[in-house]
Amino acid sequence: MKSQTEYRLKSPPDDAISSVKFGPNTNQFLLVSSWDGVVRLYDVAANILRHKYGQDSPVLDCCFTDAVHSYSGHLDNTLKTYDFNVNSESLIGTHNNAIKCVEYCSDVNGILTGSWDHHLKLWDPRTPMCSGSYNQGDKVYAMSVCGEKLVVGTAGRKILVWDIRNMSYALQKRESSLKYQTRAIRCFPNKQGFVLSSIEGRVAVEYLDTNPDVQKKKYAFKCHRIKEDGTEKIYPVNAISFHPGHNTFATGGSDGYVNVWDGFNKKRLCQFHQYPTSITSLSFSHNGSVLAIACSYFLEEDNPPNPLPEDAIYIRTVTDQETKPKHSSS
Amino acid sequence: MGRKKKKMSKPWCWYCNREFEDEKILIQHQKAKHFKCHICHKKLYTGPGLSIHCMQVHKETIDKVPNSMPNRSNIEIEIYGMEGIPPNDLREHEKQKQGARGNDSGSDDDEPTNKKIKQEGLLGNAPGMMQTMPGLMQGMMPPPGMPPGMQMGHMMHMGHPFHMHPGMQMMGAPPHMMHMQGQAGPPKPLFPSAIPTSSPGAPIVGADFKPISSGATISAPPTTNTPSSSSSDTSKVATIVTSGGASKIVHPNEDISLEEIRSRHPRYARSSKQDDTASNASSNAASELAIAVSAAQQAAVHQAKQQEAIASMNHAMMQRFPVRVSGPPLTMAALQGGQTVMAPVRHHAMIPGPPTLIGGHLMRPPHLGMNMPPGMIGMPPGMMYGAPMFPTGPMMLQPRFR
Repeated sequence: MKSQTEYRLKSPPDDAISSVKFGPNTNQFLLVSSWDGVVRLYDVAANILRHKYGQDSPVLDCCFTDAVHSYSGHLDNTLKTYDFNVNSESLIGTHNNAIKCVEYCSDVNGILTGSWDHHLKLWDPRTPMCSGSYNQGDKVYAMSVCGEKLVVGTAGRKILVWDIRNMSYALQKRESSLKYQTRAIRCFPNKQGFVLSSIEGRVAVEYLDTNPDVQKKKYAFKCHRIKEDGTEKIYPVNAISFHPGHNTFATGGSDGYVNVWDGFNKKRLCQFHQYPTSITSLSFSHNGSVLAIACSYFLEEDNPPNPLPEDAIYIRTVTDQETKPKHSSS
Repeated sequence: MGRKKKKMSKPWCWYCNREFEDEKILIQHQKAKHFKCHICHKKLYTGPGLSIHCMQVHKETIDKVPNSMPNRSNIEIEIYGMEGIPPNDLREHEKQKQGARGNDSGSDDDEPTNKKIKQEGLLGNAPGMMQTMPGLMQGMMPPPGMPPGMQMGHMMHMGHPFHMHPGMQMMGAPPHMMHMQGQAGPPKPLFPSAIPTSSPGAPIVGADFKPISSGATISAPPTTNTPSSSSSDTSKVATIVTSGGASKIVHPNEDISLEEIRSRHPRYARSSKQDDTASNASSNAASELAIAVSAAQQAAVHQAKQQEAIASMNHAMMQRFPVRVSGPPLTMAALQGGQTVMAPVRHHAMIPGPPTLIGGHLMRPPHLGMNMPPGMIGMPPGMMYGAPMFPTGPMMLQPRFR
């Protein structure tokens, strides 16, 4: 069963995988950034490594802007781009500290980078220049674009919501509804809200609309916990990815599990088998038929397993049964 | 507070004492939680139904209704929704509710208590493996459609943990309770803590999270709360060993991201060149404004210093005419990509712009200019203004140019 619905990509990265992202309009191409300093482009259908670039500094995040251009944020503070057509890499700019998040906003055709230097920068892909830098008050840990809105999660459990068209002020400043450090944020494809995860096996569903009636609907739930010998191990929830069509989402934790949730109906739709080690990134393809699962040990534990688990990327074909809400909320 | 509606008692589940808005939902709850076969996950209609199913299909005997309170686990009794509840229990429940309602908080008070019991039982149930994956329904909170009801109202006004909506028990418990629950078992149930987390008033900003903070796991920033954390040396301690030692967060002690911890590894030392001073400076000094301004300045900085001077002179003008600073240099910068210059430029960026630049966003226009395709550069300033740099941009930006 496993072999049919799921397979491992050949020639995986040599170090921890920081991010996997499917191309904008394809099930075929997957962009993968890794701590080995290399950004790789895989042809998932053929299971081959098509391109790779970079080599010096660990890559913390990457994104596509279109089918042939990628952007990557590096630990050495740099933002780089790569053109897969002409195989050319270029430096776009820098932050004052490592770039943790790179997102593309198609609505304004801008690249957004979030850094540990507390700042968010906006870049125009056409002329590789920084078109604005915005203080987030603390290290940026996670962010996600939602139409023309941007949700940023920083250290200190702060959440900021920006309108990318008008970055002169933050639309909303919230405190995370989760008690522990923010780990990941993803926005609902329907733009109503976002999902937030923390290091303490918990996920919150929140809404952007500040109307009290809408805000009432927000909630949080526990997940990615394993009871072992009477002790409950609570794992960070490292990855979230939305199914583009159904508004359901997958979460991946350091427990090695991937769960698929229906956030509006508060249900879990399914859980896949346990992967060898932490799930560090997840990405649904544009039509939601395939889920890429990045699996890397991430030094969560005091005593790391020996030998260290291999870094791997699994490509899993998912069905509507696994990703579609069973019934809509009344 | 929310008493009027409660005069008519709500449907409740005999097995776990939980109240529901609607009998339909109660029935769903029972099917999902109490009448579901743990082997094939088929949902039966009654306790006896479940027992017969298990007997006939799986050859297994079930002696207790799953997820029920200890004294309500009788599988023989045929209960469907509110039908079939032993009259005694019905009366007692009624009485309890009534009595509880006497004081304001009562009714809600005892409910979460009951819930808690149930919850724990449930939790202890099948920790290891999400029990049966379709344990889905297990933790299901009141169906989403369910109106918040007035219990919500309670909670919001008082922010008292015990006034939680049934769905809130987990989060609703005060921190120490929380952890007791943690010990009770892993939250197999789905969305066990699903809670509407909101306040009536200010929905934005931390304010609206107050109710959560007080009532939920989350009490205040990690700084103060961490009743559970054994090691609360730093203000933000991420590692938690609950008092009972029954749960552990698998995360290093420090409350910084795993990536930051990883980046300290000698292996990566070469590439992590964070400039602490700069970053500090940026956080302190750099109001977003200054940054924005300086960011805008980058354009100018790309040129020679004199041009920078020109640029800043032009800034005043730009306030009225959001046009790129000085045509040719910008073009150059654009064409050259100017990447290599970026790093030094950043330092400039840390220097708050001259006072004339106040209103950082005003500075963006030059970038818009810069971002124009080179061909556009030659266009008259006026054109630049309306040029659709960001598809949606110009319209939105306009006001800021004033």
